[in-house]
Amino acid sequence: MDYNITQKVMIDTFNLDEVVEFAENPEPRCPCVLLLDTSGSMEGERIEALNQGLLSLKDELVKNSLASRRVEVAIITFDSNVNVVQDFVTADQFNPPILTAQGLTIMGSAIHKALDLIQERKSQYRTNGIAYYRPWVFMITDGEPQGELDHVVEQAAQRLQGDESNKRVAFFTVGVENANMSRLSQIAVRSPLKLKGLNFIEMFVWLSASMSAVSHSQVDEQVALPPIGWGSV
Amino acid sequence: MNTSKQISQWRIVAASVCGTSHTKNQQLCQDAHHWQLLANNVLVIAAADGAGSAKLGKVGSMIAVETAIDHLSRQEMTSDSLANDDVLRYLLTDAMLVARTSIETEADVCNHQLHDLATTLILMIATPEVVAVGQVGDGLAVAKNGMGNLIALTIPSNGEYINQTTFLTSLDGLETAQFKICRDEIVNVGVLTDGLQMLALNMIVGEPHKPFFFPLFEFVANAEDRVLAKEHLMRFLSSDKITQRTDDDLTLILAAFINS
Repeated sequence: MDYNITQKVMIDTFNLDEVVEFAENPEPRCPCVLLLDTSGSMEGERIEALNQGLLSLKDELVKNSLASRRVEVAIITFDSNVNVVQDFVTADQFNPPILTAQGLTIMGSAIHKALDLIQERKSQYRTNGIAYYRPWVFMITDGEPQGELDHVVEQAAQRLQGDESNKRVAFFTVGVENANMSRLSQIAVRSPLKLKGLNFIEMFVWLSASMSAVSHSQVDEQVALPPIGWGSV
Repeated sequence: MNTSKQISQWRIVAASVCGTSHTKNQQLCQDAHHWQLLANNVLVIAAADGAGSAKLGKVGSMIAVETAIDHLSRQEMTSDSLANDDVLRYLLTDAMLVARTSIETEADVCNHQLHDLATTLILMIATPEVVAVGQVGDGLAVAKNGMGNLIALTIPSNGEYINQTTFLTSLDGLETAQFKICRDEIVNVGVLTDGLQMLALNMIVGEPHKPFFFPLFEFVANAEDRVLAKEHLMRFLSSDKITQRTDDDLTLILAAFINS
């Protein structure tokens, strides 16, 4: 009898969340490279709208506590040079830069840089036992490759096609206003999207929602992304 | 003392709860589990995680666990037959195949695509002397032996990306299944789906986390009142401490062999 009573009391007062301890694992990461055209034609309204958009990306990502710890943003700009203006950083640590526009559009070199950056990041994840999601690259341009040799662009396009078909990356292209959409569709595997006006804010809100959805997903293949209201194919 | 009624037996506590991300989107819990106690202290356990991206992941996972356990419970399992590794492996493979076929039939009859019912499946046959596991996809199965050692029976099978896994319904689902047979004095077994993986496994070394499992094993060993224990487990799985760390569906099946 005593035995049974003891057992009964024990289970009644057994508070699992006080006694069970969890493994401390690094958060899985969901890397996203923003590949941004900062050539001369972006000057004025366009670059200002883009800068505003980046602020809204940060604001949206931090609203979601899991996404803010899992989504990692890196920013590469391309004009006459390719610059990593922000290396990978989780959304909660991300301080959007203020970009300025000048020069040409060396898009091919920029694509190479983005794919390099992703490759390096993946190897860092693996070395540190960090699980990760399929990286995204989001390229935004109002033009087409300009100021570099054709074969650099050609090589970048081929490399991108290989990386897409091996699922190493998901590469999205967004054309702004006068962007050469047919040239862009020769470079990227996924159909480029045309931004409506300078609706960068809506686009980045969408990007944040999509990255959040991905960073919560347990099985990939088809994560249902929110509908695109900011652009068209 | 009224110990004469106490006999050697398995104690089992199991629960599946809906993840907060699914609750938010009014989705069903895609996890399912089932278990049955057979003659000769043979315990069979199944846990399945229906793909969140599949339209009918819940249907797939429920068919998988129900069919597999029903099939296993009708097989003859004697201490002789279970002494043979090939028999154990056959039993698990066969039950997986039957579960897969049953999902295919459902897809056919209802005019669905097979991948709409995509699900993982973990199957376990446990006795006090041996535990055997077959697993397609992610999730985790562990055991504790008489020496108090925690044994990793399976590890999650992910692709390069954490949100990728293999399904019972995948083309190569059964070919890529993990099998593990462990002959030892089995005191506890535990099975969980991927929602708890990050909490129960040290990812860097790929080992189950003792401070996670040991208190839970103690809990199930003392779980005399099964209904109450299940309530405790469900409350635990829905507690803030857990939902802060994971928003996925969670399944945890715990068993203890009580020798009295």
